Amino acid sequence: MRKVWAVIRREFVERVRQKWFWVMALLGPVFFAGLFFLPILLARGGAVRHIVVVDGTTSDFGTRVVEGLATGRSFRASRIATGSAVVDSLTGEVGAKRLDGFLILTDSVFETGQAEYRASNVSSIQAMEELERTLSRLVVKARLERDGVNAAVVDRAQIRIRLDTKKISRGRTTGESAGQSFFLAYIMALLLFLTIFAYGANVMSSVLEEKTTRIVEVLVSSLKPFQLLLGKVLGVGAVSIFQFLIWGVSARLLLTQRQALVSRMAGEVSSGPGLQLPAIPGTTIAVFLAFFLGGFLLYSSMFAAVGAMSSNEQEARQAQQPVMYTLMISYLSIFGLTNDPNSTLSTTLSFIPFTSPIAMTVRWTAGSLPASDLAVSLAILVAAIIGVTWIASRIYRVGILMTGKRPSIRELVRWVRAG
Amino acid sequence: MTTSILDVDRVTKRFSGHTAVDALSLSVPPGVIYGLLGPNGAGKSTTIRMIMNIYVPDSGTVRLFGTAGTGQDHSARIGYLPEERGLYAKMRVLDVLLFLAEMKGMDRRAAGPKAVEWLARLGLADWRLRKVNELSKGMQQKVQFISTILHEPDLLVMDEPFSGLDPVNSQVLKDTVLDLRRRGKTILLSTHIMEQAEKICDSVCIIARGRKLVDGTLAEVKRTHGGRHVLIAFDGASGDAQRVFADRRLVAKHDGSAQYAELELAPGADAQEILQALVSSGARLSRFEIAEPSLHKIFIDLVGPEAATAAAQPETEVARA
Repeated sequence: MRKVWAVIRREFVERVRQKWFWVMALLGPVFFAGLFFLPILLARGGAVRHIVVVDGTTSDFGTRVVEGLATGRSFRASRIATGSAVVDSLTGEVGAKRLDGFLILTDSVFETGQAEYRASNVSSIQAMEELERTLSRLVVKARLERDGVNAAVVDRAQIRIRLDTKKISRGRTTGESAGQSFFLAYIMALLLFLTIFAYGANVMSSVLEEKTTRIVEVLVSSLKPFQLLLGKVLGVGAVSIFQFLIWGVSARLLLTQRQALVSRMAGEVSSGPGLQLPAIPGTTIAVFLAFFLGGFLLYSSMFAAVGAMSSNEQEARQAQQPVMYTLMISYLSIFGLTNDPNSTLSTTLSFIPFTSPIAMTVRWTAGSLPASDLAVSLAILVAAIIGVTWIASRIYRVGILMTGKRPSIRELVRWVRAG
Repeated sequence: MTTSILDVDRVTKRFSGHTAVDALSLSVPPGVIYGLLGPNGAGKSTTIRMIMNIYVPDSGTVRLFGTAGTGQDHSARIGYLPEERGLYAKMRVLDVLLFLAEMKGMDRRAAGPKAVEWLARLGLADWRLRKVNELSKGMQQKVQFISTILHEPDLLVMDEPFSGLDPVNSQVLKDTVLDLRRRGKTILLSTHIMEQAEKICDSVCIIARGRKLVDGTLAEVKRTHGGRHVLIAFDGASGDAQRVFADRRLVAKHDGSAQYAELELAPGADAQEILQALVSSGARLSRFEIAEPSLHKIFIDLVGPEAATAAAQPETEVARA
């Protein structure tokens, strides 16, 4: 057991000493800080666009549009009447960057709802929505007035709907919106996928290093291959836990300091509905960690077997693909999983051990889920870990001492069978 | 009954069709340097891996220190230097040594001062905090050598220890090995360089194509394969030498003159007996030489010139553990 401990210690210390560990440890929080603050910056960012309204209508509609846009955030406009060379000269102005764009209105806007916006930048969804919303509100108003409806009545009648979504989770209404809920589920799936893959691949390269340098001969003459594998997986696993710890602490700092940071960054802009962070309950973190550990143990032993049956990096990269694709299935199903956490697909994926670490965590986060489902899924996962590790350790034991070409499936089966 | 450190009893190992080691037996007494000799592909490494319990023999047994149990059970008492060298490239030299000592059951704290001492002894003191991949190949080999002896094993198993070493490092290694033997350790090493084996081995076992051709002490091997001729020159008085030459228990054939004789020893006879008999017969000798063939010549005679230079077979070995 002391030897296993020494293997764990070596894997842990050597990994934590490496630069990439600290790069990951620091980049993680930076990445998540980016996820939190980018929307704020974007919402504030979109600079005001100065445009001209080319009014070809026979009413004062152009002026109304200019006034309407002035109440919004994205546009400041002035009106000119349409003329023969107006469009050409405005195009020149936009080209010379003295103007952001121009809006062409004719009477047909009242009949077909058609208007035209030409600008150097038309890709800001938020700004285009604002323009469209303003136009459509004013057109509706104009059309109603034409039909004799009192302007005051029209103003009163128009109301913008704000849909406030709240998730009912385990019988309680939470403050979580649909967007936040998806966001959290997505982040968790992404984290699980990246970390299980990264640390599984770590185990693989560690196996491969010992095999290619032949240190494994010295090791195997000193301790049992299974002990070596166990030490390796536990050592790398400890590194991953340490990594999460660093991330957890920095995320906590980020959250507690968030309000201060936001107000400093965003100034007067109050945090809109999209910026609210969901409170992450302790149980969700526990579920996440449990399934991460399960997934890591399951996949790292497979990665170890892959490393043992390959004799160089290229071979290993090829041989790892089936393992990687298996892991990717659940990651790619995340939209399906969040859309309907209780569909047949979601349920199935969350019980199959190779997909359950990601699928179950997403289902847990996205919707209410009976605890019994969670327990069954975990039990299946544990059983699979035992089975897969048993097979993988047999492949490992033979593979690490083998040289020459990669074994065929038939040979692998023989290795597993050989007592 | 047995006082051997290592007993290999009729071990056989086959790899997908070809027999790498065929019913090989050998016995290593304590306190000697034992050479496992043979051309490339003779089965030396396979034999050593079976001794180390890296491969499990298809048949036959390996006994270490006179008891049952595998190399893993005895790992604290064995140092092993594999044929293909390698260390963790990104680890610091001292950390590698401590880790490998731990693998041999040594306490980390106890291993520290020893490792530093050995590094200093082999001229690597300043390199102990460097990473392995910053060292030259020769230095790495020395580090690996230290890792095999750090835990003071009773039995040192080294597969081609001299390959890839320059003359200086080769000498350092040889001196260290001889020093270990003086301290009562047993050393088993494989090599295909006979001159090297002749200089340091007490006993040898020559194998080819997985089979043993001959084994025994170096003297025995030389005696049974050549070394049957004695050259004698008299310094004036030949005494009663003719009576000694006529003794058929000692001398099979003889010819020569009054001052000079060349003898062929009788089967089983010892040249030292003849020397003693001659001296007590009153002869004065100016020369008494056992015309010994070199180990190299015996080796070539036994395995044939083509086998001795045969290239190693491509390794497609699959262990069936």
